[in-house]
Amino acid sequence: MQFFSGSAPPGRGAGGPGNNAHMHMLYIFNRAGVCLLYREWNRPLRTLDPQQDHKLMFGLLFSLRSFTAKIDPTTAEKGNLGVPLLPGQGCSFYSFKTNTYQLNFMETPSGIKLILLTHSRTGDQKESLKYIYNLYVEYVVKNPLYVPGTPIQCDLFTKNLDQYVRTLI
Amino acid sequence: MYVWHFHCLFICCFNMLLVNLNWKDYGSAGRMDTNDSLRLASLWHSMHAISQQLSPTTGCNGIDLLRADTFDLHCFQSLTGTKFFVICEPSAPYMELLLKVIYELYTDYVLKNPFYEMEMPIRCELFDLNLSQVVQKDRVALLAR
Repeated sequence: MQFFSGSAPPGRGAGGPGNNAHMHMLYIFNRAGVCLLYREWNRPLRTLDPQQDHKLMFGLLFSLRSFTAKIDPTTAEKGNLGVPLLPGQGCSFYSFKTNTYQLNFMETPSGIKLILLTHSRTGDQKESLKYIYNLYVEYVVKNPLYVPGTPIQCDLFTKNLDQYVRTLI
Repeated sequence: MYVWHFHCLFICCFNMLLVNLNWKDYGSAGRMDTNDSLRLASLWHSMHAISQQLSPTTGCNGIDLLRADTFDLHCFQSLTGTKFFVICEPSAPYMELLLKVIYELYTDYVLKNPFYEMEMPIRCELFDLNLSQVVQKDRVALLAR
């Protein structure tokens, strides 16, 4: 795509259609905690209903950010735990890994949080998240019919997102 | 002689009931007082549990590794729910091995100590001594285990 800064990160080869064994889910939240987008490609287990799930995810990220800012061993003075942090403030985590999945996180200066859950052994996903953010900017933010702060319903965006994710497996 | 590459290292162990917290600081900027460390430990405990709930597949055991801009956090959970976590430089090697060694030290010098009361802070000299030894030892010795 010529209007994106930089080229797409190389995919892992042509994966079969529908074989998204490596990418599980994607969440996009805005600053206020509204879930703008939730896409799932491979999720065998659903423990909560969607509303609770989004709230739990947002809450987890919020607490994890305060935790990492406070526990950071390289800065001498840190704020108090529980104070809401601005997007660039303090040390932020970018990924965590469990035995079943890996959560990759990116927060933009405008407060948009992108969360990508992948298979446990995938590598660093910073470039993929940046590319997805570029997709968001091109197809959602520049869309005159889109109202900021509401869930995303742009077909072009979801289509390109699915296409891109398929190249990542 | 290989020098262990971390500029700061915290080691913390706490169990499910969060009564017992042992926090060891091996060089970091800024002090952490007891209240703060307790708050952080309880926060970690809850987030570990929440991460299990959000798993897209079954059989999740919680966060093993948290990567941030300036540090990495490795966590080890024993079968009884006691969690050990270590904070180190980004991509420091052999941290999981270190955690297992610390767990061995914990079972040997703390749990087998007849004067140690369960759920109380750890005040065992031998544990502290061996812990500092393990942390300062070079990589070769750890590999040999």
